[in-house]
Amino acid sequence: MTDDATATYILENQRCFEDLKQVASQLAGLLVLAAAGSNEAVPDHPALLRARRLFREANDAFQSARPTSRARKHHDHVAQAAAMIGEALDQTHGRFDVDRILIPLRAGYAELERAADALPGFEKVSYAQACCGAQVL
Amino acid sequence: MKSAYSLWVMEFAAVPNYPQSGLIYGMHNQGTRKLPYCYIVIKGQGTIAMVDVGYNHKAHGEVLANTFGVKGWRPPREVLGEIGIAPQDIGHIFITHAHFDHMGNIEDFPSATFYLQERELSKWVWTMSLERRFRWLMLGIDTADILRAVDLARQGRLVSVQGDRDNVLPGVDLHAAFDTHTWGSMYVTVRNDLAKNPEASWVFCGDLAYGYENLRGHDPGDPEYIPVGLATGSQFNLVMTSEQMVQSVGGDVHRVIPPHEERLKDLYPSRITKLGLRITELALADGEKSQVR
Repeated sequence: MTDDATATYILENQRCFEDLKQVASQLAGLLVLAAAGSNEAVPDHPALLRARRLFREANDAFQSARPTSRARKHHDHVAQAAAMIGEALDQTHGRFDVDRILIPLRAGYAELERAADALPGFEKVSYAQACCGAQVL
Repeated sequence: MKSAYSLWVMEFAAVPNYPQSGLIYGMHNQGTRKLPYCYIVIKGQGTIAMVDVGYNHKAHGEVLANTFGVKGWRPPREVLGEIGIAPQDIGHIFITHAHFDHMGNIEDFPSATFYLQERELSKWVWTMSLERRFRWLMLGIDTADILRAVDLARQGRLVSVQGDRDNVLPGVDLHAAFDTHTWGSMYVTVRNDLAKNPEASWVFCGDLAYGYENLRGHDPGDPEYIPVGLATGSQFNLVMTSEQMVQSVGGDVHRVIPPHEERLKDLYPSRITKLGLRITELALADGEKSQVR
């Protein structure tokens, strides 16, 4: 059972979680293009510019979050995720080195997965458009 | 006519009661049907390949079971073990599209090279650069899958396909179906006589069709194409791709294989395994032993 204060925390912080996940996805997408040899993976790709902006917004929102004791574990994982994803983003300036970006990014996304497991209301993936997604029991 | 490949449809999970409206455009309030989840095994010419790999149960199994009623998931080592194959035997995997339930189980296939349309990747990345209000366009993608794809690419195990590619294996062709179910979907054709005879060909269509109604409508005597309901691209492109697929097998819709079609068991030799999952045998290579009789 989730208490009212924790439910409020969940509602107020879903967006921040989604945004961090989005930043991780943007970076991961660029990395796979780069690793596959695509010419599209460049440091000024629009997805990267948007990722930097989105990360700043998410980080600002996260700083003002006030977790309950029930939400503490989730919150700590998000904090770790933000730190690692921020580090990955820092590595995107200048030369696009897949290895230097991938290590903190993978660690950051793993923290987001742990955060999703620690508290209800935070989805790792939206199921709505896959073939299983038309039915909600 | 000789068969170069054995072809099996392997069920790895199922939804017992799935609304028809989710599968066939416009079939609202028409009840439910069983929706099996399957991948395809292609064995012959000295190699074993698959079409799609299913989803990562560790990451998604509980949600899919509790929220969407997906039952009976079994890992590839058990599913493929029923036909004497181990996941590490798989050399080539053709990913029809990047949804988590089709490419989510990459890590269970340590020896395979994966083939995916470059457009599927590049358009997802483009989509991710859009504002939050466009997030519907990104549904069904798991960031963890993309990170696994990075590893594949670094290991030289990701082939980024650009459009159609013939003979990716002898007699096996990849066909782009851009802007249909997803940005860079593709379907796989197996020309089982290694020639160009449509009557010896099979099409593995991923989610370009969920069932035979998508390919022939509701009246087989007066066929029509009815697209699947879910399209990042367009229903128009789905309809035109259906025509391409059906024509490539000489008009015989039953040689287009929708992996979610339960009635395959009525068309081809099948058996239910001790795991409660179905194996459907579409073809046997010369000298290959049946796995369903």
